[in-house]
Amino acid sequence: MSRFFARSDSESEESSSDDEITDKAPGATFKQSLLLSDDEEDTKRVVRSAKDKRFEELTNLIKTIRNAMKIRDMSKCLEEFEQLCRAFLKSKNIVDKEGIPPFYIRLLADLEDYLNQLWEDKEGKKKMNKNNAKALSTLRQKIRKYNRDFESEIAAYKENPQESADEEEEEKEPEDSGSSSDSEGEVSSKSFLKKKPEAPSEATKFLKTAKGSGDESSSSDEDDDDGDWSPSDTGSSSETSDKEEENALKRKRLVTFLKVQRAQDTEKPGVRKEERKKKPKQKEQIEEEAEEEGGWEKVNRGVPLVKEKPKMFAKGTEINTAVVVKKLNEILQARGKKGTDRAAQIELFHALAAIAAENNLGQGILVKIKFNIIASLYDYNPNLAAFMKPDMWKKCLDCIDELLDILFEHNNIFIGENIAEDSENLAVSDQPFRVRGCILTLVERMDEEFTKIMQNTDPHSQEYVDNLKDEGRVCGIVDRLLTYLENKGSTEEICRVYLRRIMHTYYKFDYKAHRRSLGLQGETKSEQDQEESKEESKEESKEESKGESEGEDSAVIMDRLCKFIYAKDRTDRIRTCAILCHIYHHALHSRWYQARDLMLMSHLQDNIQHADPPVQILYNRTMVQLGICAFRQGMIKDAHNALLDIQSSGRAKELLGQGLLMRNMQERNAEQEKIEKRRQVPFHMHINLELLECVYLVSAMLLEIPYMAAHEFDARRRMISKQFHHQLRVGERQPLLGPPESMREHVVAASKAMKMGDWRTCHSFIINEKMNSKVWDLFPEIQRVREMLVRKIQEESLRTYLFTYSSVYDSISMATLSEMFELEMPTVHSIISKMIINEELMASLDQPTQTVMMHRTEPTSLQNMALKLAEKLGNLVENNERVSDLKQGIYGGYFNRDQKGGYQQKQSYQRDQKSYQQKQSGYQRGGYRNQNQGNY
Amino acid sequence: MASRKESTSVSSTAMASTGGTLDSPVKQIQIEGLVVLKIIKHYQEEGQGSEVVQGVLLGLVVDDRLEITNCFPFPQHTEDDADFDEVQYQMEMMRSLRHVNIDHLHVGWYQSTYYGSFVSRALLDSQFSYQHAIEESVVLIYDPIKTAQGSLSLKAYRLTPKLMEICKEKDFTPEGLKKANIGFEQMFEEVPIVIKNSHLINVLMWELEDKSTVADKHELLNLSSSNHLEKSLQLLMDRVDDMSQDIVKYNTYSRNLSKQQQQKHQYLQRRQQENAQRQSRGEPPLPEEDISKLFKPPQPPPRMDTLLIAGQINNYCQNVKEFTSQNLGKLFMAEALQGHN
Repeated sequence: MSRFFARSDSESEESSSDDEITDKAPGATFKQSLLLSDDEEDTKRVVRSAKDKRFEELTNLIKTIRNAMKIRDMSKCLEEFEQLCRAFLKSKNIVDKEGIPPFYIRLLADLEDYLNQLWEDKEGKKKMNKNNAKALSTLRQKIRKYNRDFESEIAAYKENPQESADEEEEEKEPEDSGSSSDSEGEVSSKSFLKKKPEAPSEATKFLKTAKGSGDESSSSDEDDDDGDWSPSDTGSSSETSDKEEENALKRKRLVTFLKVQRAQDTEKPGVRKEERKKKPKQKEQIEEEAEEEGGWEKVNRGVPLVKEKPKMFAKGTEINTAVVVKKLNEILQARGKKGTDRAAQIELFHALAAIAAENNLGQGILVKIKFNIIASLYDYNPNLAAFMKPDMWKKCLDCIDELLDILFEHNNIFIGENIAEDSENLAVSDQPFRVRGCILTLVERMDEEFTKIMQNTDPHSQEYVDNLKDEGRVCGIVDRLLTYLENKGSTEEICRVYLRRIMHTYYKFDYKAHRRSLGLQGETKSEQDQEESKEESKEESKEESKGESEGEDSAVIMDRLCKFIYAKDRTDRIRTCAILCHIYHHALHSRWYQARDLMLMSHLQDNIQHADPPVQILYNRTMVQLGICAFRQGMIKDAHNALLDIQSSGRAKELLGQGLLMRNMQERNAEQEKIEKRRQVPFHMHINLELLECVYLVSAMLLEIPYMAAHEFDARRRMISKQFHHQLRVGERQPLLGPPESMREHVVAASKAMKMGDWRTCHSFIINEKMNSKVWDLFPEIQRVREMLVRKIQEESLRTYLFTYSSVYDSISMATLSEMFELEMPTVHSIISKMIINEELMASLDQPTQTVMMHRTEPTSLQNMALKLAEKLGNLVENNERVSDLKQGIYGGYFNRDQKGGYQQKQSYQRDQKSYQQKQSGYQRGGYRNQNQGNY
Repeated sequence: MASRKESTSVSSTAMASTGGTLDSPVKQIQIEGLVVLKIIKHYQEEGQGSEVVQGVLLGLVVDDRLEITNCFPFPQHTEDDADFDEVQYQMEMMRSLRHVNIDHLHVGWYQSTYYGSFVSRALLDSQFSYQHAIEESVVLIYDPIKTAQGSLSLKAYRLTPKLMEICKEKDFTPEGLKKANIGFEQMFEEVPIVIKNSHLINVLMWELEDKSTVADKHELLNLSSSNHLEKSLQLLMDRVDDMSQDIVKYNTYSRNLSKQQQQKHQYLQRRQQENAQRQSRGEPPLPEEDISKLFKPPQPPPRMDTLLIAGQINNYCQNVKEFTSQNLGKLFMAEALQGHN
């Protein structure tokens, strides 16, 4: 051992002198060549698989333990043993794969025996110092407990300790022969193989220590190792008697190490030999590089990989699939670990990809690496809230694009997440490639990242616009993936990718289709024709503009995709989202009836509260869009109903996922806030809140004002829209009424005008320059909406006018009304007729003179007031009676009386309300009686 | 104008004659025309809508007659000058007036009202403090709305001695009020008012009346709109609501009280039984416990507010009655005129 070391030591010193090495290289003895090759193995070291590394760690530890055993240093032994256990745990997954390494078992067995022996030896125990004794007992307990897990293995070992002995023998022999004979030929390939891996570990280590003093940047791991080595060295050199045993131990370890290695190593030894011969020539350069870098490079602690970053493979290593895969795995090992430089990892992957491409290793491996690049790009941000940096994002997009390119070019690549790591086929062969990974997940993740980027960009900056430009690319990728998966993917995957596609489509207004349909509406009126011609025009436009990304109508696309999902999807969520998006898209394009029918048919309104928040947000968005659509179509009531839920809560912003409310800040903690922030819809998908509120308020106004006029004196009048009333009240509270500024003020002012039946003023408040720029111009069909609105205002003003002023008129000519409200006679006629039929207006139409005759049956406001007062007095009397009853001590008595008297009167009053005339007489009687009873 | 004033003063005298029988140091109030005009002016300049203006009356007492010879207004309060010192202002004003040889004795205060809604806690409190300090103080209530309709409405009120007692004791519990035997009718007493002008002014008035055109007088026959009635009803309704609430409150109170009485009774009975048993067994009786501690009587609702509300309701009713009877009279007159023609 020591000799070996001495040799290598000198060799390493020699290696610094260039001449010698070059001289020696070709004709050197095996030993020398071995050592020489070792010298430059520091580059090679990188290639060691995780397994090698782990096992090396273990063997090192074991060796220290054995040393400690020899000098009976129990505390050291205990310490090391604990470390060993930890190291073993770390390498668990490798152990799972490879089985428990024999050397490990051997140590466990030996240690236990040794401890037992010590334990028995009472004398020796007495001599031990306190620390050691204590450590001994602890260790003994520990190892007992620990060994229970490995009972069978240890038993097997104890039964057949021969094996190890044999190996020792075996081991010794080649070592001897190797050192004695100069000829290379004598060394069996086996022994060569055995030796070889040993070399790197030791030699590199050694080299490190040699130049390590100057190399401050050497990682802590290595420091530890170095530390471990030196005592062993001294220990072995000082005790000559131990030397043999030491050597034997070493061999043992190496053999087992090798055995495992051999099983895994698929390379042919011949290949290696050839490589080796070339190496020395290149060594010089590498040495220089290594030295330079060693001097300058600053590396983070605990990142051994990074240090060797530039040298992916030893120069000249034949790069084939297996090697690359191994390398890939090695890089992957570092993934997710603390202190791993993620950027460097990405770099490594890129380099690996380049190497793979350079060496024409086939598309399989390239695809595999690409998958990993993208994955590590996603990994780059440790926490979920952070978003990708622009350059990362660009890289990610590029990568996915390239990946898709490859996938499209090569039809024989199968990818899937269910392909096991073992059954991958990456090498170029006749069989199709099989690669583990899911492109769909990657793209989905990319989409999410995009959303995240958009969420985190200031929506009013140029940056946002720039970022938004990437949307096209994202869509493009989704599109390509869609075509890819349509050919290859399962239905489930298709559903998922369809949903992605839908998510990118539903909120966009298809101006092209809109324009087209507008143009065609002039020619053909019927919808079917329109549909057909749409198809035609679609084809035409396809021919015309092939370069354009969207030749197809988005409506047609939505329809196709959604219907596929409806039919094929089995997860409820995707279908729900698809339905909502479909409705949204319909609504956006003013296909009110389709949207409404879909909404009603899906029964989403009943069970949406069970959905997760993002779907609920989507639902809210859809409802709002539906409401706005209804408004555009002139369905005021529907619009109001659809928007009521969102608006009445006063949290529209939050419900639509367009921002957080300030007042809730105290209620939620930071964690919740983060979650909520993640739910936010990116700015470009926002629904204009002012538009929303305006639509709601105007709808409410058109409904509420006539209603208020009709039920002015009704005590039990309910409110249609609380919010609207609130706005009115706010308007009333203003001490000084200036001309309206905000949208709300406009609506309030318009409402006031409408209350007086003054439609012209109302109109001018609702539709003017300010409101146009604030609200109405946001609609795609401004002119139509405005016309509809004017019409509605005229009609509702007419109704309000009739309600409010009918008591003033005996009769009124319809011609006058039609002139006043600029409505056609038939419309006026129909409105009045409706009012009469609904018993809203007590009047009759006089046909020959075209006049409305008022019946004058409604009570005047004073009468109404008196009625109200009487009612209240009734209540008062009732309460008074209770008091007096209580005074007289008749419990329960008044209940009976109430049922006979007070309550019955009330009921009769309610009944009376249906017909006013009856009511008046009836109530007055009741009221007086009541008063008579109560007051006097 | 003058004739109207004259007539109202007469009518108010007639109306107040009922209240005049009450024993109080002031039997009659004589107001200078100047004071009336000043009050009216003050309201017109500063008060609008339901806002209320207030001021201080100055004068002197002659026998049982209170003569109000001058007044000055209080400045309108705003939030801005919270540190405004009213007392200081009054003293300053009075001192200044004395310098110009004007009566400077404080004899009360005046306040405008909105549809006759003045019976409130605030009025009660301040009138109490006035009357407490200066026994002869009165409060003049000026109703600008009625005045605008054609008849000057100016009334002088004083707290009855009974109410003064109660306010002094600050006992507004139901029992206290019951003991005092006070109803809403006996809270305020109205003092008859006579408006007195100098002869010169009277002469001027006569002359002016002669010169004025007939058109102005048609106003008298005007049936005032239902707006006034509506407003009154509205206010009446609000009061009635308050009243109902108070009654409900009182109701729960009395129910709780009786329930507790019952419990108390039961408890005592049980205790008695137990004691009797113990006595028969020769054991010492249970120690007496403080029952009032065991059964805390529920907090009785203050009744003064209810009383005030009742007074206010009464006031509204009077107003409405007056108003409607006037209107009815006019209607009958119109009918008669029509029939005659």
